[in-house]
Amino acid sequence: MEEEEIKEKIFAYSTQMKGKKKLKEKDIIKKIAADTGLEKDVVKKALRAMINVGKLMYSYGGGASSVEIPSDEYLKEKGML
Amino acid sequence: MSLKHKTPMLDELEKGPWPSFVTEMKKAAKKSPMAEDGLGQLEKSYQTKLGYWKHGGIVGVLGYGGGVIGRYSDLPEEFPEVAHFHTIRINQPSGWYYTTKALREICEIWDRYGSGLTNMHGSTGDLVLLGTNTESLEPLFAEYSSRGWDLGGSGSCLRTPSCCLGQSRCEWANYDTMDVIYNLTQEYQDELHRPAFAYKFKIKAAGCACDCVASIARSDCAIIGTWKGDILIDQAEVKKYADGGMNIQDEIVGMCPTECVSYDGKELKINNPQCNRCMHCIAKMTRALRPSGERGATICIGSKAPIVVGSLLSWVVVPFIKVEAPYTELKELIARIIEWWDDNAKPRERIGELIEVKGMRPFLEAIGVPPQPQQVKEPRKDPFIFFKDEDFEKIYTKDKY
Repeated sequence: MEEEEIKEKIFAYSTQMKGKKKLKEKDIIKKIAADTGLEKDVVKKALRAMINVGKLMYSYGGGASSVEIPSDEYLKEKGML
Repeated sequence: MSLKHKTPMLDELEKGPWPSFVTEMKKAAKKSPMAEDGLGQLEKSYQTKLGYWKHGGIVGVLGYGGGVIGRYSDLPEEFPEVAHFHTIRINQPSGWYYTTKALREICEIWDRYGSGLTNMHGSTGDLVLLGTNTESLEPLFAEYSSRGWDLGGSGSCLRTPSCCLGQSRCEWANYDTMDVIYNLTQEYQDELHRPAFAYKFKIKAAGCACDCVASIARSDCAIIGTWKGDILIDQAEVKKYADGGMNIQDEIVGMCPTECVSYDGKELKINNPQCNRCMHCIAKMTRALRPSGERGATICIGSKAPIVVGSLLSWVVVPFIKVEAPYTELKELIARIIEWWDDNAKPRERIGELIEVKGMRPFLEAIGVPPQPQQVKEPRKDPFIFFKDEDFEKIYTKDKY
């Protein structure tokens, strides 16, 4: 499977879970690896690539972190939109 | 120059002989509008007994999940300069050694992009910069990283490891704490900057049981220096302490936690097999007593502050481990500990809590450490009777018992 395809699956899952559950990196990696049969490291690499370009971002609250889809407002602040 | 906010309640905190953070904030406020509004909002909190900070959210530098803690004012119209007031954590040098040039560099950059307020240092050990806005984060990070500084950890990651100054200045350090922490920081860059764990994980390294870095209380994994040999005694120096007025019976013998020290008025004796290397007697009689023999560290696991359950102190998991570069044995052990915790922990569950839930047996089996008497946390706990299903089979079939 191409990395772009994995990224699409990750993004779709993140969109699906938005507002329902704060996803940790591990939650996404486990889910996509289980759905696709890919190695966790492969999924992790694709996830990290998305985080590197701001497609997904880390969020923080009460000492715990999660991965979220950033808002347009935030991307504008970062000069990415 | 007068400040725009009246601060009668905060002014009370300037009275008395001790240093005051209010005085320092007022100094900063003379040239920083952010510090000025920060004072105003703080005064309001004191007046109303309410907090006005919102915390968290998506805020950070690109690619990193840690090092920036988002903070926003609930009163942005009243205190516009602190509408954003994000905290930055800078990974401190091992042992907190700075040159004045380095400190000037940090402060000069911070004055340009933030409030100018610092906290030297946060409880995890980072150099903390208090108060900047979202637009300044990327340029601020670019300035620091171009000069060799990096962000520390925050969120569900490996928090910035920290250590006492160790062998750089202390004769009691049983291993090179600064080198260990530098190595672990390099080893775990990904875990430090990309929060992938269930919750935070802290590593602290102390050269001896004096534990100047408070690792036993403030880290999930405390690496505390220890030794295997006897405590060497210089009886002539013991006599000098006695002649100098030290009450050896009360101050040394009476305070030994394992009651392994005795003193007959002439000679000090130590029952070394009973000694738990707490450092009390050595720290009190520095010229008379010193450790000897093989040096290494004790690994204690589990301390935390009270959030999910009550606060915990770390307890011994590995009584003795060699701590020598390249620290392969130590790194492999920490990797196994983190792996077990990460595989089993619920969100916001620290390793100490997880061990209390799951028990020592699965933990010790997972990390490959045999049960040992030193691991008993308290009397009548952790008896290490590790029955397995096959043992019960043997009981039923009278095969063995």
